[in-house]
Amino acid sequence: MNLMRALEALLFVADSPVTPNDLASALVVPVYAVEEALEKLGARMHHESGLQLVRIAGGYQVATKPEYADAVARFTTPQRARMSRSLLEVLAIVAYQQPVTAAEIDSVRGVDSSYALRQLSERRLVTEVGRKSTPGRPMLYGTTQHFLHSFKLDALTELPPLHRALPETVGEGSEADQGRLELD
Amino acid sequence: MAEGKEVVRGDGVSALGVVAPVEILIECGAFSGSLGALFHLVREHKVDLLGVPLAPVCEAYLRYLLESADVDMDRAGAALAALAYLLERKAWNLLPSQEGEEPEVEDLLETTEPWVHEFAPAIEALSQLAEERSLVFFRSTDASPYELPYEPDGVSADDLAKALNRLLEKAAPDPPAAQRRPSRSLSDQMVEVMGRLGVDFLGFEELIGAPFTRSDVVWWFLALLELIRLGQARVRLEDGEVAFARAVAA
Repeated sequence: MNLMRALEALLFVADSPVTPNDLASALVVPVYAVEEALEKLGARMHHESGLQLVRIAGGYQVATKPEYADAVARFTTPQRARMSRSLLEVLAIVAYQQPVTAAEIDSVRGVDSSYALRQLSERRLVTEVGRKSTPGRPMLYGTTQHFLHSFKLDALTELPPLHRALPETVGEGSEADQGRLELD
Repeated sequence: MAEGKEVVRGDGVSALGVVAPVEILIECGAFSGSLGALFHLVREHKVDLLGVPLAPVCEAYLRYLLESADVDMDRAGAALAALAYLLERKAWNLLPSQEGEEPEVEDLLETTEPWVHEFAPAIEALSQLAEERSLVFFRSTDASPYELPYEPDGVSADDLAKALNRLLEKAAPDPPAAQRRPSRSLSDQMVEVMGRLGVDFLGFEELIGAPFTRSDVVWWFLALLELIRLGQARVRLEDGEVAFARAVAA
């Protein structure tokens, strides 16, 4: 069996990211062999295909190359809903502060965020991940695998670091390099 | 300003939240800079607020509200929050302290770190990532979470589901069991819906007619779905809302 071609076949039918472990189980080969073959397959696709092998949401998946985006979009007519600034704001807070309660999000933003949270839940970008052990046991929110997929991230650690920024007028003594947030 | 100079401008730097507050420039002996910068430095205990006259700043803010032709409420709100915070801090500082000790001031704003404006770069980064992601297509991952065996022209299952949810939120609770109307069948409901459907498109709420209960909404929705599936009703989007009409005979 040509491992690289077999992997290509599996990745072709996969409709979500697959891990090397999953691929190794399906092909009954060691994981390291799959990883080596994936590397070769990725290199080959990079040079010889309209597709690319991407590492996303904790696994591998085949995707179209960006240079063919216009043609693919015309062909598939995808319905992409753009995200408003307020949705992105709530999403960013959840992504960097998770797990976080709705009240904590409201507290950071200074406005009610329940509508935005509902919208993000509907878009499967955030989800309930548990309850906080405080009075009232409020719901905790976190991002989903779909969030990683939607932003072409492999893991939360790939989120750009968040630096505490100050207004430019503050000038010297800025603490812009302090306070990098820790991700779960 | 009696003890300093202030200028109110429509464009400002961001100091409070993603929405920048109205820019009020303050110049006095103890501080020179914007309201946003003053707010931040006071929170960091780097400026002695006692040396900064706040009354002229408040007057400048009120003048902006009264005289500006197009007041940006978001930015005005951000400035109001900053001013309220500064006034409270200064009021506490002006209170006499016993034995020369600083009064304990509960800084509610310090309980929320990081402040929302610190997420601005992250929001930009997420926008950029989403833009890059939109250039790449995967197999089936963009499928709608809702599935229907029939795809009405121009209306997605999400549109229908949203219309249902909106009306369910408006619907009155169902009456107690003792007063509940006799159970009905979907066929009966479809007959009722067909009687109401006309040639002109009507929105869901307009079609069902008030008052309605949550059960009514669900029955109407199921009947409409079935009629669409059977080709006896049409659906389309009008100003982002789904609207229904009787199918026109070929």
